[in-house]
Amino acid sequence: MEKWDVVVVGGGPGGSYAAKTAAEAGLKTVFFERGRKPGDKNSSGCGLGQRWWKDYPELMEELQKLPSVRKVEMVVINLIDEHDRLRYRCGTTGSDLCANRWPHGMDGISIYRKDLDPFLADLAVKAGAELRTSTLVNDVIMENGQVRGVKTEKGESILAEVVIAADGAMSTMAKKSGMRDRWGGGCTLVPQLDFGCNADKMDDIIGNAEWCWFGPLYGTYQVNFRDGFHIGAGQWLRSDWDEKPLEMMKKVVKIPGFQAMCRAVEAKPREYQAHMLPWLKKPPKTYTGGMMLVGDAAGFPCPLEAEGIWHAITSGKIAAETAAWAISRGDASEKALAEYERRWKASDLGKEHEFGPEFVDLWNSSIFDPKLMARQIQLLLEFSMLHPFSIVFDWGDAHMDCFNQHLEHILDLAPEFSEFGKTYVAPLARGIWPKNVKRILLKVKPKIPALRRLSDENFFKVVARLSKGLAPYLDPSIRQDAPVPRDVFERGVRK
Amino acid sequence: MSLDNIDFFELVKRVDTDKMGDFIKYDREKCNGCGLCALVCSFGLWAVKQNKAKLAVRYQELCLECGACAEICEPGAIDFSYPAGGTGVIIEYG
Repeated sequence: MEKWDVVVVGGGPGGSYAAKTAAEAGLKTVFFERGRKPGDKNSSGCGLGQRWWKDYPELMEELQKLPSVRKVEMVVINLIDEHDRLRYRCGTTGSDLCANRWPHGMDGISIYRKDLDPFLADLAVKAGAELRTSTLVNDVIMENGQVRGVKTEKGESILAEVVIAADGAMSTMAKKSGMRDRWGGGCTLVPQLDFGCNADKMDDIIGNAEWCWFGPLYGTYQVNFRDGFHIGAGQWLRSDWDEKPLEMMKKVVKIPGFQAMCRAVEAKPREYQAHMLPWLKKPPKTYTGGMMLVGDAAGFPCPLEAEGIWHAITSGKIAAETAAWAISRGDASEKALAEYERRWKASDLGKEHEFGPEFVDLWNSSIFDPKLMARQIQLLLEFSMLHPFSIVFDWGDAHMDCFNQHLEHILDLAPEFSEFGKTYVAPLARGIWPKNVKRILLKVKPKIPALRRLSDENFFKVVARLSKGLAPYLDPSIRQDAPVPRDVFERGVRK
Repeated sequence: MSLDNIDFFELVKRVDTDKMGDFIKYDREKCNGCGLCALVCSFGLWAVKQNKAKLAVRYQELCLECGACAEICEPGAIDFSYPAGGTGVIIEYG
């Protein structure tokens, strides 16, 4: 029977990067891809953000040369009201103050999986891993409750010291090893419609940007590639679904503003896809005896916006390093592989998931609530009218009257959002770094006559005694540039 | 193709659909007839008749392989596994 140090199931970004890392560590590694080539079976938003430059600069140098790439220097948000009217368009991009953190500016890239996946798989092959395509791995070999290898559809049994399962949201490995049956409400279904376009016109009209279309009836991303784009509209798979995925797609393509953009870039529908995307408050258990889950199979996509490719290769890397460590100790038991979870939790991947419940709840109860979203759009439009650039152009009345009318609208709308703010926005305040909380408090200090003579240190002591909510931030022993740990905060609140 | 009338089925590429195997398994006994499988399927491969779901006979030719029907099935009547290697939907612009 064939025997390998590491068997990786799946030739997507997570699997390929795990195979590359394992091969580079000197482990005898094979990875399996069910498609005819890597990327054949994969669809995703596929924007690679700025953090790729920080963590994988050598990959980005090469990736940006591939044919389907479009740079991302800005995200353009189109706000659509319930009558399909385009009401607001704004963009986000970094200021020069971010230059230290982003040596490449706000730049990320968008790239089709047909470019990305084969590129990453190639790196693994060059590092010495063996790739087997058009091969479905459809079972695990278990012995005394531990995974000892895998079985392919062709009837081969392949043994491994460690199996790394990178087989996607509908992971067969997770199911067959008894780790999980279904996601239980934490998974989204993402229909995607791809358009082929005139690349030059895209340069002129769309530029180097991702777009979004947000309205009460849809939250849709538009990822722009060199000569095409796709729109995707994810929805949590819940029993309160009331409409087919295609119906939502049809609603988006009917927005007059969207159709105008399509005409301008000569967009023609080119491909329709659908995929599952776990969007979880917290990844469930990511390891068992003899096996680790990476990428979507583990439920790693970002809890705030569900990007998952950085998370896939980062978890793939950590899993392969853990495999090397476990194999060198001759122990890949469940107890030993708990090391994997310790390592990813201590990494940026773990940081990302620290606010998982708050991030998911925030999305789930705002963008995905049509009634609230309709009102939210009204509120945002009123706020936008108070923007210094906007108030200049409201010529309906004397300018100060205009200003006051918009202010009144905001005050009228505000009570509808107080419950939402209290429940879903306020808990995110826990993430504000203690040093920033202190800076805000020091702005207030001179305005409180009774306290302004105190030294800063004593001022914080008094505030901590007066306010149970602020006390955790002001604990002198706490790290200044990281969120207050959850347990410290809860202990503080109880006190 | 007008944007008001897109033929989504025409926009899916496939190879060797006759070799995909039986990758969706359905247990009629477990089905509670809720119809969520029919709701989440892009191409209407599920229908509910007499309080039981029914999968299209030649589903391999239409399925997008997303697995949503199995994921949303509360009583676990639907089992989805990936189709045979090198067959089925091919994604060129994913």
